[in-house]
Amino acid sequence: MAELKFLGYLAEIAGAREKILVLDKPMLLRKVLPSSFPEKNVIILIDKRVGNLDSVIENESSVILMPMLSGG
Amino acid sequence: MKGYAGKWLRVDLSTGKISKEEIPDAMKRDFLGGRGFAVKLLWDEVKHIDPLSEKNKLIFSTGPFTGQALPSSGKMVIASKSPLTGGYGDGNIGTMASIHLRKAGYDVLVLEGKSEKPCYLLVEDENVKFVDASELWGKNTFEAQDILEKRHGRNSGILIIGPGGENLVRFSTVMSQKGRAGGRPGLGAVMGSKNLKAVVIKGTGSIPNFDDEKLKEFGKKGYEEIKGKESYEFWMRQGTMQAFEWCNENSCLPTYNFKEGVFEFSKELDGYVLEKLHIDRKGCPMCNMQCGHVIKDAGDQRAELDYENVGMLGPNIGLRSLPQIALLNRMADEWGLDTISLGSCIGFLMEASERGLIPEKVGWGDFEAARKLIIDIGRGEGLGKLVSQGTRNASETLGKGSHRWAMHVKGLEISAYNCHGCPGMALSFGTSPIGASHKDAWIIAWEISTDRFSYGKEKVEKLIEFQRIRGGFFESATVCRLPWVEVSFGLHWYPEYLEAITGNRMGWEDLYKIGDRIYNLIRAYWKREIPQFGRTWDYPPDRWFEEPLSQGKMKGVKLDREKYDQMLSWYYELRGWDKNGIPTKETLDDLGLKEVSKEIIG
Repeated sequence: MAELKFLGYLAEIAGAREKILVLDKPMLLRKVLPSSFPEKNVIILIDKRVGNLDSVIENESSVILMPMLSGG
Repeated sequence: MKGYAGKWLRVDLSTGKISKEEIPDAMKRDFLGGRGFAVKLLWDEVKHIDPLSEKNKLIFSTGPFTGQALPSSGKMVIASKSPLTGGYGDGNIGTMASIHLRKAGYDVLVLEGKSEKPCYLLVEDENVKFVDASELWGKNTFEAQDILEKRHGRNSGILIIGPGGENLVRFSTVMSQKGRAGGRPGLGAVMGSKNLKAVVIKGTGSIPNFDDEKLKEFGKKGYEEIKGKESYEFWMRQGTMQAFEWCNENSCLPTYNFKEGVFEFSKELDGYVLEKLHIDRKGCPMCNMQCGHVIKDAGDQRAELDYENVGMLGPNIGLRSLPQIALLNRMADEWGLDTISLGSCIGFLMEASERGLIPEKVGWGDFEAARKLIIDIGRGEGLGKLVSQGTRNASETLGKGSHRWAMHVKGLEISAYNCHGCPGMALSFGTSPIGASHKDAWIIAWEISTDRFSYGKEKVEKLIEFQRIRGGFFESATVCRLPWVEVSFGLHWYPEYLEAITGNRMGWEDLYKIGDRIYNLIRAYWKREIPQFGRTWDYPPDRWFEEPLSQGKMKGVKLDREKYDQMLSWYYELRGWDKNGIPTKETLDDLGLKEVSKEIIG
């Protein structure tokens, strides 16, 4: 199972704050996200490492997608 | 130059003398407004004095953006020599007073001297007078605001201090509109030291711009662009509180006096909990993305929350109830105390108690104890007296190694971001021109999105870029940074706006140079006022270097002192400062600050 966590307004776009997916095979992150998911100003961490929408995820991946906040 | 009222109003509270002086065009060109005007005035006029003496000056400074029909333009900067840090101190505030000051015909209000008796200043266009404030002295900022609104009209611009400022608490602020606050480094105490309870401003004029039609059109487009941003709707629901979950997830939430970066009860306090409790919204004038969320507090009264006060009065003191935090925040606003420093001071006392360094029992998360402490701090009594001059002073009094976990830089308490695992943000706190403030540069997201644990030069370059935009441009324009930083409003608008206001075409490189001039003058001010000032003042507390996080995904992480030191050297090099962090003659001369270099270098 791959675990995806969405922070801030990205949870609205994804339709959930967390998703657990069972993947048949490794795939590009963007394939499991809505087509409206923003390409810019998003931080993606896959297993604590910086990734992007074209990073490959697999079962056991832990993914956090968060907006590029700028801290008040 | 168009877009300015063109005058500053100078009021001597000792003699009653009132003067109105033209602002030279060169000052507008070189310093723009707001923070730029303030530091220039302080450099020229406030030298080697006790910040709480009548020789200090309190400056309320607007810029060419203030009060324009532009996004989030209701700001002014309040500045003075700080009684908390001993150096340059300022803070911005969104208030109707900014707009009224400009409408009354002034860009800047300079207050000097000291009134014999408590008074308030009434500015009605060209008419300026002192009014007895004996019956207001001692009242909290909400009560006094109500009285002044009743007397002078609800839409008057009112700047006010609470008992904290009257009692010279070193982190007291200037308040407005029951919740807006400015001047973290004790500028409420400066106002209190002058026996000045309030400033009431009513202006009826207008300031012609270079191209009012274009400005109106651009302003309208700007407001529309903000409302159309994909993050706007969520921002309106959670505001800055969206950062709470974000910071906890990234181990940078201030927790237990910055010992930890995650809070075990975070889900009881985050933006989603706020949404359920939300009953109203508050904010600054001219803003269509107001950030204050009102809830019913634990005393069943309306109270306003945002990320900074929840972070510092919540996890930082171990408190896990939003209504209780809201009540503490309301008390801070009523007393006129800075919520960031207040949360840090209470956290300091809780840790001192836990370590057995003080006899009083003040446990983490003890709401009643925190409530009582606010009153004691505001009065400067009991245990509150120990911290009423800030954590630096408290640690010097307490001793026993407490300076290692007194969470400040240059005497100003660190705002709500734990930096055990954020070296770039640690440097941002270290080099902020007023002490540990986040307003000049917030780089955490950028460092996480690139290489979080890097101490590379590229991080230092990015930090300086942020400082130029946020601390240089926004603080002198004077306009709120949140449209850009929070919903990605286009930066390209600002030079367009400036041209429509003043008629001067300036690109970002020109604006960066103004920002650099301001930063260097502030740095020189610190050096002139504090001869021993230098490199050692630019380090965050030992805790972040010596005590690794013990909880969460970043368990074991701490800052590396040698690598931080290297970043700091790069920072000085890029700024054109010497190894001790003092601007060089060449740097100052290049910025047109030859007189300054003569004074601090010779």
